[in-house]
Amino acid sequence: MKLTFPYMGSTIIYQKLLQLLDHEVIMPPRPTQRTINLGVKYSPEFACFPYKVLLGSYIESLELGADTIITSGGHGPCRAGLYSEIHLKTLRNLGYHVDMIVFDDIYHYPKLFLERLRMIKNHKSFLQLIRAIYTSYQLAHAIDSLQKFMEIKQAYELEQGAFAKAFEIMRQKFAKAANTVKDVQCLQREGEMLFSSIPVHEPPESQKVRIGIVGEIYVVIESSINTGIAALLNKLGCEVTRSLYVSEWVDHALPRFIKKSDTAIIKNSKKYMEMGIGGHEIHNIGHMIHYKEQGFDGIVHLMPFACLPELITQSLIPKISIDLDMPILTLAIDEQSGAANTLTRLEAFVDLVRNHKLQKAG
Amino acid sequence: MKTYLGIDVGSVSTNIIALNEASEVLSSKYIRTNGQPMECIKNAMKEIARDLQNLEVAGVGTTGSGRQLAGIITGADIIKNEITAHATAAIHFYPDTRTIFEIGGQDSKIILIKNGMIVDFAMNTVCAAGTGSFLDHQAERLKVPIEQFGELALTSTKDTRIAGRCTVFAESDMIAKQQFGFSKGDIIKGLCEALVRNYINNLGRGKTLTPPYLFQGGVAANVGIIAAFKKELRHEIIIPRYYNVMGAIGAALLAKDYLEKNGYQTRFSGFEITDVNFVPKTFDCNGCPNACEVIEVTREDTVIARWGDKCGKWTNEISYSPPGYLTEAACS
Ligand code: SF4
Ligand code: SF4
Repeated sequence: MKLTFPYMGSTIIYQKLLQLLDHEVIMPPRPTQRTINLGVKYSPEFACFPYKVLLGSYIESLELGADTIITSGGHGPCRAGLYSEIHLKTLRNLGYHVDMIVFDDIYHYPKLFLERLRMIKNHKSFLQLIRAIYTSYQLAHAIDSLQKFMEIKQAYELEQGAFAKAFEIMRQKFAKAANTVKDVQCLQREGEMLFSSIPVHEPPESQKVRIGIVGEIYVVIESSINTGIAALLNKLGCEVTRSLYVSEWVDHALPRFIKKSDTAIIKNSKKYMEMGIGGHEIHNIGHMIHYKEQGFDGIVHLMPFACLPELITQSLIPKISIDLDMPILTLAIDEQSGAANTLTRLEAFVDLVRNHKLQKAG
Repeated sequence: MKTYLGIDVGSVSTNIIALNEASEVLSSKYIRTNGQPMECIKNAMKEIARDLQNLEVAGVGTTGSGRQLAGIITGADIIKNEITAHATAAIHFYPDTRTIFEIGGQDSKIILIKNGMIVDFAMNTVCAAGTGSFLDHQAERLKVPIEQFGELALTSTKDTRIAGRCTVFAESDMIAKQQFGFSKGDIIKGLCEALVRNYINNLGRGKTLTPPYLFQGGVAANVGIIAAFKKELRHEIIIPRYYNVMGAIGAALLAKDYLEKNGYQTRFSGFEITDVNFVPKTFDCNGCPNACEVIEVTREDTVIARWGDKCGKWTNEISYSPPGYLTEAACS
């Protein structure tokens, strides 16, 4: 079995888990224009954009020799829960001999879930399986915590690219040496030290601009298809915080008794939306309000092409923006979102946000 | 005499203006880019230098899709996006304005202003149906010079509704109407109204459009479109005197403001640059399947600027980076 998995965020987390279980892993290449073109070519025109990118990414992994794809399904956000069925069909129609191991919601299909676990646990014991899962879980949190740090401080780096370079160094170290929880903690500390040593020039508090990013999970997490929005905003001198990181997405999927509660965030959104409609819309609205409470200066909302939940969020944004007295920019992400135009919009938005902040300060 | 230059390099036209210290326009040039931005910028600079005797450039600002290129050649003090630049000029001339309609050759925008500041904007860059190129195209089909297009629209007294959702539909609808015997004037009026309707529906969605309205950009020369706007909005609209070079004026104003506020000296490279040989070239990187089209500018055999690479592989190699200059996403 040559396993591969969907490309989303720092892939070394999934790689690590599978390697700790002695699997042969085919790393999906980072999505490029080719990935997107492949996905677009073989997808229904009105499928949502993340569906297309993932399809393209699977094809590229299969080209590299993978034969089994591990993914999540079932109770997923919105249509994403059903992606796997159609992906599998399409891939087989294209002539690939491929299987999928789909992890459905543990509550709805506990038996199936266990069966799947048994499949990926390989010859290892359940104890070893749990240890592997726990290690990769910690790894996800460690990498995300470094990424969060970076997306704030990178705004002030003196030497362009210093943070990106340091992050890449750490990523490789994690991939090579993070095999136990202890390793992970050690490397995280090393990463923090490395990051803290990067020279930055922080402006006074009154001139800092903080931008929060919300939107559909895949385009928020995956920088290769959102034109690297966090890094772009950093280069424009803004601190960035995203509503979702891989580790938090994992937290969502955890059994209820260990899960961190996000009810406080969701509760906020009640005023605008009575109930969820399948995607991350109530989280997103909740996060917008939360950003306001934390004193953020602007919000960027990412909406994939053909994404219904985010389209509905977008229709509420004019009202939310007025209520919160907060500039909000929606960016549609699709295979044509040229980076030059995105940049023009972002630059103009950052100008707007700065002026808004100055004016409020009086 | 102290002057500030503003340069707006778009895909259709390149505009250069010169302001005096009181922010009045001394000279303005509007030139077709014709896919030759470099030559265009140089020629326009030469013309400005010829027009204005003994001028002393105290600052330069650039904007438009070619803002980086223009900024590099001229040594600009500020390189700004076209949304901010357009709004800056509009607010300078009409401080009370609330809504700016800007329709150029390749793109169009709506910018909302409150208390002299941008509060919201929308920009169309993908759909031709809301831009000047749509009109150019239809004028060609109807064999009417674009300069007379607007006047012809005013000759019609009929209401002709043309489906304007998309250029392709508009075209087939237009041909059908022609066969039905509608006059050219009727059809052109219908087209103008379709464009305006389309533009407002696309960009104004979810926004409250409050007067005073300002209409600028190359298309603001078209009286047919102006009439269509008035009809759609049921309100007067203002066409600024320098409607087709507002972006350039904005860039100059921003440069002036930036230098004055910070007490900096200009980085302007001087008019000699019109004799320097800058060579732009593009190549496809084959470092990864992104196959980025990288643009490179050389000045006398040294590479002075590069952009267009998604990973920074090419841009990071050169040290010079103008203010506000950016690369795209980082890639591993
Ligand atoms: S949230 Fe949007 S992008 Fe994600 S599965 Fe649903 S429709 Fe598709
Ligand atoms: S992303 Fe970098 S390596 Fe890949 S094609 Fe573009 S410039 Fe080359």
